[in-house]
Amino acid sequence: MKLERKDFLTMIGGAVVGTGVGTLISPGPWMGLQWLVEWTQDQYRPPKGEEKYLASICDQCPNKCTVQVRMIGDRAVKIETSNQGCAVGQLLLQVLYHPERVKTPLKRTGKKGKIDFEPVSWESAIADISKKINDAINNKKQDQIVAINPAFPDATAMLTERIALFAGSPHVYQESGYWALSNACSVATQKAEGAIDYDFENADCVVSFGARLFEGWGNPGRMHKVLNIWKQKGVKFIQVDSIATRTASLADQWVAIKPGSEPIFAMGVAHYLLKYGRRSGAANFGRFTELLINKFTPEKVSELTGASLETIESVAKALLQARRPVAVAGKGGKVVSSSVAEFAIIQTINSMIGSLGNSVRLVAFTTPAKPAIAKKTKGLDEYIASDMACDIVLINNANPVYSSVYGERLSEKLKKASTVVLFTSLLNDTAQYADYIFPTLTSLELPYTGQSVSAKFEAKHAGDSLLAIAKNTPTIAAQFPWNSYLDVVNAASFQVRNVANLDIPVDSITTKLEELEKLLQSSGSYSISMVPFEIPVVGEGNALALPYVLKALPNTILKGNTSWVYMNPVTASKEGISEGSKIDIESSRGELDTVRVHLTKRVAYDTVAMPIGFGHEELTEYGSEKGVNPKPIMSDALDPISGYADWWLTRVKLS
Amino acid sequence: MATMTRRWGMVIDLDKCTGCGACNIACSQENNLPIFKDDSDVPKRVTFLDLIEVTNDKDPKAQYPDVKVAYIPKMCQQCSGNDPKHPQPPCVSVCPVVATDVGDDGVVSQIWSRCIGCRYCQVACPYEARVFHWWKPRYEGSFKESLNPDVSIASRGTMVKCTFCSHIWKLERDKAIAQGITDINAVTYTPACVSACPTNAIIFGDLNDPSSPVYEPKVQKDPRAVRLVHSIDELRTKDPSEYERRTKIKEYPNPKVYYLTSQQWLRDKISGFKNS
Repeated sequence: MKLERKDFLTMIGGAVVGTGVGTLISPGPWMGLQWLVEWTQDQYRPPKGEEKYLASICDQCPNKCTVQVRMIGDRAVKIETSNQGCAVGQLLLQVLYHPERVKTPLKRTGKKGKIDFEPVSWESAIADISKKINDAINNKKQDQIVAINPAFPDATAMLTERIALFAGSPHVYQESGYWALSNACSVATQKAEGAIDYDFENADCVVSFGARLFEGWGNPGRMHKVLNIWKQKGVKFIQVDSIATRTASLADQWVAIKPGSEPIFAMGVAHYLLKYGRRSGAANFGRFTELLINKFTPEKVSELTGASLETIESVAKALLQARRPVAVAGKGGKVVSSSVAEFAIIQTINSMIGSLGNSVRLVAFTTPAKPAIAKKTKGLDEYIASDMACDIVLINNANPVYSSVYGERLSEKLKKASTVVLFTSLLNDTAQYADYIFPTLTSLELPYTGQSVSAKFEAKHAGDSLLAIAKNTPTIAAQFPWNSYLDVVNAASFQVRNVANLDIPVDSITTKLEELEKLLQSSGSYSISMVPFEIPVVGEGNALALPYVLKALPNTILKGNTSWVYMNPVTASKEGISEGSKIDIESSRGELDTVRVHLTKRVAYDTVAMPIGFGHEELTEYGSEKGVNPKPIMSDALDPISGYADWWLTRVKLS
Repeated sequence: MATMTRRWGMVIDLDKCTGCGACNIACSQENNLPIFKDDSDVPKRVTFLDLIEVTNDKDPKAQYPDVKVAYIPKMCQQCSGNDPKHPQPPCVSVCPVVATDVGDDGVVSQIWSRCIGCRYCQVACPYEARVFHWWKPRYEGSFKESLNPDVSIASRGTMVKCTFCSHIWKLERDKAIAQGITDINAVTYTPACVSACPTNAIIFGDLNDPSSPVYEPKVQKDPRAVRLVHSIDELRTKDPSEYERRTKIKEYPNPKVYYLTSQQWLRDKISGFKNS
């Protein structure tokens, strides 16, 4: 067959057009393009697998919310909290899969002050620490063994406490917070151990003296349920605070007062309660009433707090008219700062309104019998401030170098100690001064419900490591009969007790109020009050290590690595400050790195509202060096009863 | 196989919102949102749900202490447009490649892999609910373990947004079909932010279903209800002819997210009536 040139060209042309059209209408080029995009961008495809749900528990606070974990194969991909709990439950996956998790025990290789560690075997780390504890006991240096626990007690805290106490050391502390402070008040005024607990669920009127109840305070999971109960029942809620916090805005009435004047305002309320015939059977109530009548008249309280007489009286009346009223102490959110005197004033109000031992009770962390050793110092801050040396320090899931206002002094102490052991899942500020780091398991990895997610590396819970250390120390091993941490969990429990007796520490209250009065009236160069506030999702600051937390920050808190503080425009204009100005804040203790100012009428006059939880020197790639930590310049005045610094109110100057 | 009658919508009770952040984090986790070190910088961060802190402190009349603060969880408002039968939300009508469209359940979809990154939709969206991936999404090391296989990872240069977690609906639909249930309207689901909210402030459901707590005619009568087009909603009773005219405008968004608040200042803020 003869092929004409024209036919040949037609055929070629047809083939070209046909191929072109065919290719265009086929998925080939598009799939190729998609493949090219994925290949050039190294696009990741999460592997698929069998779906199942595991029942687990969030053990980040005593509320122990149940959660369902969605598993795809052996990967946990979702936390179902079913409308309970708080943001912490949602963050469990970021904790579980954090790339910087401590995966093996670490031993220091370089000088203290840096993150300089090498992996070490569990056996050698445990043997070395046990030997040092044993040697300290045998060489009569047991009082240089110190245990530091987190702000809320858990079963691991019971183990560090037992190691120290059975070794013969009185030095068992916890980080400053609501539990430590209210427990100190219960011991001092009610002769009973236990943090103060309020029956929020059945209350019909709640007056909170600075406790930011819905911003991380107490057990957030419980408080979220409480908010719904209050909304349904129409519970009257009054918030006393110097900043328009979300809690203040959720309240039926916000009583705005001068920063730090909450205990004085409480005295004013107590005065009106007395005036309306309310009495208390508490010891020293007579002297307390003398203090109210002679020194804290409503007029004086009004002058010192900035609240009107009518406002003070209205708060007292609200308490009087209620059937189950509650007065709440513990200024702050997740982080609380106060004094035993302040707690005691508010407990006296609870006694006067008939709530003490009724809707105000004590919750104690009950543990098996342990030796009673006379304490040498009362609280962690007092211990750090003292000249007592430490040699073996067990720091359990805490970050006291960051959280204490005495952090710098603690770091000096830890530098001199021979064995600082930190139990943590992520390296933090305190890790810079540790000799050993022990990894710990996260909530989802614990077989509380018989189901747990695998950590994918060899890890043990801090409780199991502590148990191994104790069992390896011959002098104390017999006091630790448990086989695993879960046995330890079952050996401890929270118990609620109604304790109605009260011994009012009138002298301490008088001293505290006199100091506060001076501070509030002080003029001179430190003319501005600095008070803290929290972003609920950040809390005390550990959550900053989790990157999804950064996505939830308001745009007026942190920009780049710079912290923003809040200030009233009236004060700012007096100080010559405008929106976004860079300022330096200085107290009698020192000066902070530069911060920027956001002007808002949410803050009292002559006040700087300072965000806390930021400014970590070391807290993974995501949380380090973000903003400033104001603790080093905050008030370090020690509360003589609790042994913790009351850092709520600090007088500062701006430049 | 029944025709889809569901029209998913949300009601968010701001009086119950504490600003805890659970919704925001649940959303980030469920939708595989990228992890950047500087995510504290609002203009750079990629989020589907912004937890916006608002106060009335810019109101010239407001002085300390007559100041309040609230949080608004703001996600894609899943606009219906001016004709619910042929919905054309502002973003959908401008997309040149049909990467965003309205499903028969009213959810405004977004297909990352089809997006060419022109960002017209971002400009068109009245709520700044759309985010552009300027950088390649990153998931450092073991963070990859927690990624959800039901949501694809977006490429650099694409637009992303909240889809009311419609992938969960698809999973529930597949489960229903596997059980032999072929009635599409029998399939219900809960987006991640809704099940995470510890105070039940966010309620999700079918705006067309009279038994649902989000049944639209009922919500519209709630004196606390306010949408992000409040200034037009207000005209429904005040000036019906003007209301009619404004809702006919092509760009009328007509969102399916309702907010509830008893606070007048917050209503004013949301409606934009006052410069507060």
